[in-house]
Amino acid sequence: MKVELQRVTSAADESALIRTVEVTENIQYAIDVLENNCRSLAVTRDNETLMVRTDKIYYAESVDKRSYVYTKENCYETKLRLYEMEEQLNTNFFRCSKALIVNIRKIKGVRSEINGRMTAELLNGEEIVISRSYVKDLKRKLGL
Amino acid sequence: MNKMKLVFSQTLMISTAILFGIGLQGALAALFEQDSTIVWDWYIPFSIIMTGFLSALPSVLITGYENLKKTMIRFRIMLHIISIWGIVSLSGYIFGWYKDFKGWIGISVMYFFIYFFVWFGSWWLAKEDDKKINNALDEIRDDE
Repeated sequence: MKVELQRVTSAADESALIRTVEVTENIQYAIDVLENNCRSLAVTRDNETLMVRTDKIYYAESVDKRSYVYTKENCYETKLRLYEMEEQLNTNFFRCSKALIVNIRKIKGVRSEINGRMTAELLNGEEIVISRSYVKDLKRKLGL
Repeated sequence: MNKMKLVFSQTLMISTAILFGIGLQGALAALFEQDSTIVWDWYIPFSIIMTGFLSALPSVLITGYENLKKTMIRFRIMLHIISIWGIVSLSGYIFGWYKDFKGWIGISVMYFFIYFFVWFGSWWLAKEDDKKINNALDEIRDDE
């Protein structure tokens, strides 16, 4: 595919036009990257190194100084520390507790608990806890 | 610093709630007993603030329910209710807010009314927050 790049002076004028016969997986990936600032993360599973697209990640967790990345059905280990992942992941992610970063686009719904925390149900049915001190961050992220 | 802020805000909130209770009693007296005059000794305003401050302390010592089991949370809430009830009763006795058992019952009823009103208010605000967050999440949620 021929790629043309045209420089503009302001961010407001930035746009991308893709002319394609059909939306293939690569085209969809390009759209996701352009729309969501989507990248990939190097992870391991059964001693095999893989790349996981960040838009497929539900949440990332740190357990006993090891970091894990969870997608809809799988769990992978990564060498990155949680704070490093936080820097690499796009704006759809936010830290919801000391040891967990979640993709807000994968949250099905939230409910407040009596202890001031929130429980978030994810699209795959899993539930995670949003600590009281991070609820403000979630609201800020959602523009509330 | 957060604990100092909590004590300060709770002192203000409880003092205001006590004033609201006294105001309500005054209004009821004016309506049903044709007696619309409240006479206060010089120390009564200070006693209200002092009671507000003392009642704020259990919130710092007992609350903070994160990472607790539900039974422990319930136990701590009960302890919170009873300890503040004790403080209000003792302050009322020392500062002469009530003269007899009937007066103590009146103070206790007022206390429980205010306590559960504040809990209900907090619960309602939390549910409203849930609604706002869930509506915002509806806008950005991935389709899966």
